[in-house]
Amino acid sequence: MSAFMRGVADFALPTHLLAVVVLGLLAPQHAARFPILALIELAAGLLAGSLAVVLGVGENPASTALLALAAIGAAAVIAAWPLPAPITGLFAFVVGAALPLNAPPQEITMARAVLAQAGFALAALAAFAIVALIVLSATREWQLVGAWIAASAILVLALRLAR
Amino acid sequence: MDHESRAAVRRLALVLLFGGAASPAFAHTIEGAGGFAAGFAHPLLGPDHLVAMVAVGLWGAFLGPPAIVLLPITFPLVMALGGVIGIAGLPLPATETAIALSAIVLGLMVALAARPPLWLAALTVGAFAIFHGYAHGRELPDDANAVAFAAGFVIATGLLHLTGIAFGLLTRWPAGRIAVRAAGGGIALVGIGYLGGLL
Repeated sequence: MSAFMRGVADFALPTHLLAVVVLGLLAPQHAARFPILALIELAAGLLAGSLAVVLGVGENPASTALLALAAIGAAAVIAAWPLPAPITGLFAFVVGAALPLNAPPQEITMARAVLAQAGFALAALAAFAIVALIVLSATREWQLVGAWIAASAILVLALRLAR
Repeated sequence: MDHESRAAVRRLALVLLFGGAASPAFAHTIEGAGGFAAGFAHPLLGPDHLVAMVAVGLWGAFLGPPAIVLLPITFPLVMALGGVIGIAGLPLPATETAIALSAIVLGLMVALAARPPLWLAALTVGAFAIFHGYAHGRELPDDANAVAFAAGFVIATGLLHLTGIAFGLLTRWPAGRIAVRAAGGGIALVGIGYLGGLL
């Protein structure tokens, strides 16, 4: 498997998926167009997180932060709150920054690590775009999916804090 | 066959699909299991959990909007709180009895075509969800797969609600209404079987 594909595979962790799916559900709420601002903020966050990884940030609570963000975002989805664009943008940036911090590449050389980070970031952006496009194109009760995500995130957060 | 009938047939096909997948002939506990698949299987392998989940969807469909959405949203959220109590190791007495009672009460609500106020329906579902969540929370694996496991069993729970909703939409037709109420009666009987130690 190439470094790029390993980066893509690194994204496919349940914690990452919960956070990005929530963002994808949240960003297009009450919007008629694709939330390009949220996508840009997510990309900026991914870049910032990747730079932090390059700078050698050690052990960090990114996993717990992603679960907490998933629970908070899911609460907003359930309540169908139309969050202001700057808040959604900030949410996207923080999720984007936490993602690479939770899965730093395990490559030997810098070039391969950059490729892995690129694969990881593209996978995150693609996942967000797919969810946002589905939400925009299909009028459904997305609160139900929000409830599932919130419940999953709350349970795992409780497990982390209790044990 | 008009559009509405075709949609109903599709929903019924989904019911049969999930019903077939949810074979009750297994034990509920999954030894040493983790990950999404194990979490997904968890609610499906406990018939008492399974029928209560379907009953939530059935009742929601019976009550119509907004209960059809509110009840399946209430259940996983309150279930998560019950799970937190279980994870924290706090005692919750008579959990298994309450789970069997949930099948009886929710099944009877459907069988008797009960139409309480929305808040009371949500409160009833939420009260039982605490016990279901507690039982699941006690069995959450303490490893890296916990997220996948939790997501698996929450999604399976949600799909069981959707199965109940899909079947419950048959209430649009007189014969379907009888079938749904009969299903509610069957769910109550399963609960009585668990409560009496027969199942």
